[in-house]
Amino acid sequence: MNKIAPRQLYFFLACIAPLGKLVLLPTQLAHYSANDLLFPAAINFLLQAGIVFLIMLLARSNKTFYDLLVNTFGKIVGKILICIFAAFLFFISFLPILEQKLLVQSVFYDTLPSVVAFSSFFLFSAYLCAKPASVLGRTWDILGPLAIAGMVGILVFALPVTDFGALAPVGVTGAKSIFFSTAYTLNWFYDSAILLLLVGRFEYKKGMAWKSVVFYLIGAAAILFFLAVFYGVYEGLAVRQIFSFSKIGKYNSGVTVLGRIDYLFVFALTLGMAFYCALPVQLGVGCLVDTFGADKCKPALFSVGINLVIFILSILLDYQFAAINTTVNEKLWFLPPVFCVLVPILALLLRRKPRERKVR
Amino acid sequence: MKEKFAKFVKTLPMKIYIILAAVFIFTFFSNDFGLVDIQKTAVILAAGLDRTDEGYHLTAQIAVPKGSDRNSCGTASIDIEGDGKTVSDCITQIYGKTGWVPKLIFCNLLLIGEDTAKSEDIFDGLDFFLRNEYMQDSCFIAACEGTAKDMLTTVSAIDDTTSQSIEKIFSDAAVKAGTTVKSTLKDFAVSYYGKSKSGYMPFVRSIDQNCGADSGGGSGSSASGSGGGSESGGSSQGEEQKKIYYANETALFSEGKMVALLTPEETFAFTLLQGNVFAGTMTAEEDGKPVTLSILSDEGKVSLSVKNKPKVTMSLRTKIRLFNRGVPAPIDDVSKSEISDAVEANATERLTQYMTDLWQTCLDSGCDLFLLNRNLYRSSPKKYAEWKETLLTSADLEIKVKIDKVK
Repeated sequence: MNKIAPRQLYFFLACIAPLGKLVLLPTQLAHYSANDLLFPAAINFLLQAGIVFLIMLLARSNKTFYDLLVNTFGKIVGKILICIFAAFLFFISFLPILEQKLLVQSVFYDTLPSVVAFSSFFLFSAYLCAKPASVLGRTWDILGPLAIAGMVGILVFALPVTDFGALAPVGVTGAKSIFFSTAYTLNWFYDSAILLLLVGRFEYKKGMAWKSVVFYLIGAAAILFFLAVFYGVYEGLAVRQIFSFSKIGKYNSGVTVLGRIDYLFVFALTLGMAFYCALPVQLGVGCLVDTFGADKCKPALFSVGINLVIFILSILLDYQFAAINTTVNEKLWFLPPVFCVLVPILALLLRRKPRERKVR
Repeated sequence: MKEKFAKFVKTLPMKIYIILAAVFIFTFFSNDFGLVDIQKTAVILAAGLDRTDEGYHLTAQIAVPKGSDRNSCGTASIDIEGDGKTVSDCITQIYGKTGWVPKLIFCNLLLIGEDTAKSEDIFDGLDFFLRNEYMQDSCFIAACEGTAKDMLTTVSAIDDTTSQSIEKIFSDAAVKAGTTVKSTLKDFAVSYYGKSKSGYMPFVRSIDQNCGADSGGGSGSSASGSGGGSESGGSSQGEEQKKIYYANETALFSEGKMVALLTPEETFAFTLLQGNVFAGTMTAEEDGKPVTLSILSDEGKVSLSVKNKPKVTMSLRTKIRLFNRGVPAPIDDVSKSEISDAVEANATERLTQYMTDLWQTCLDSGCDLFLLNRNLYRSSPKKYAEWKETLLTSADLEIKVKIDKVK
């Protein structure tokens, strides 16, 4: 099996993982903590960076998470636990997919019905999710530079119209607001859960633990800078500027002359996002494959089945986005800390070697 | 060789998959490449907003195909009007009247009638445009004399479409000259929802322009101008007085209501204080004779200090060059182009006066044009709470003008 190269993993941590935080997260942060939006984001990033470090320590065993569970709890309990983790991944993927759907509907197709506009995503996702996690490395090799170009391009366009003074006065919203903002946006910080499932799919090399943290923090710094620019462009209007990454470039005076060339960068970022949205589903399907085996067409069947369920749910809940958003972020906010913080920490206690059977 | 080929064949599906995925996603997310079915869609170029007793009157300037006349050029348009309790109702009425789906994505100008702007908070009308995801909030916003309907349905002397003719006066060149300000829906909304609750927008006026029979943008046989049966905003262009537009005044708003109008001189001072003027001119006097000076650079700033009592400092530093005298001058003077101390003093005096008048207009109207409340809040929320009600009226004004002469 092809393993993910360290370079490819760093591309994921620095370039791909931040992409999922560009669509609705800035607006949500502005909604909860106004001009102090950098604090909750920074807290969540630092928390994730710490967990990334712990997971990389776990990765030294070069065993997959599933292997570690089976080593510790045995096959049956291990399979049940990995299925629960897969269920969490399907759950956590739902909101980003809906975000992506709204983005496509709102930014790219303003008259075409959303069902038609977005359904082809699931064809792509079904194909991608049937592939093993080892294909991710090549994908990240391509998407990494695209994401960098997209991000730099958007920021270059937006900087001339940014008023960083809008971030002042610092801390005025208070600790309580920052706390709730941190808690209610945890749903966007599931990178550690993804990394946990990638353990054993890359060869651990010396120094990878701290290097991974550094690359993750580079991505985090890019997002924090984006958030500062976002608030500097929109100030008080930030609370209603969804899909801001597709808009903040258009106020540049160059756009008046050249047209919406900032769309080139928006497309580059959106391409990366499409893969990032499908990633938890792909890894979730991988968990099911670990549990039930990869013989015959099982991966394809799991992939099609899960994507079909998400597709149907996305149609049924077409007009329920606000309710889903509130439920996932404000009522079920405790789920991401369990699976993205607690589980990776507890995973350090898992047995690296299989249990030896006692011979009587 | 065989091994290499086998390796290539092995990795081929992956390569094809990546290429297909990239192509598929790119085409998927690239919209319909911006294609618009003009037969089914009303491409709104500009919207004019007037308040009525029952709600709003919306005048939408809609681009239409210009026909097969190869000699015609530019953009033809018609003006369709709708009434309703809200702007949304007006749009729905336009849809009902024409069967066209109104598309606001190309709307680049929002015009607000003078009475509408003065009577109440205009954000009950702008709310629709601000909420609409398909409306560009980077569109220009302006107030105009009379009603927006009358302004949009006039016939431009320089363009087939009135709105495009008006947009021309908000060019970067005009702003750099200091003759006009420009404001976008986003900028206006940001200042409205900010701590200062104040904003500004250019004030558009029109004047008659006498053209020859064949001159002017709206002339010729092309089917341009207002029309559209009962929705028509006017008659054919040939019969109507052609207009040109200018916006050297600035409408000031406080809490969404137009409260004052800056004169051209005050507007010029305002653009100078924003540091926007790089190619403007101003006329001073020497021995009672006019001397025009060109402004080569502009460093304007308005700062606030609240140590004991609020103090506003308007500082301006410009580089100027003699541009033109209003009287015949000896060739020696033309070649030297020196600015005398008297001209410099007169220019300084004039600029100081413009700024004083500008400040007085802001004081009288209660418009926090320089966003002093916002700046105070950013630097000290505590002091903002102390001064927010009386900041403008209690602040002392200091004006610093420094002119550097360039040969």
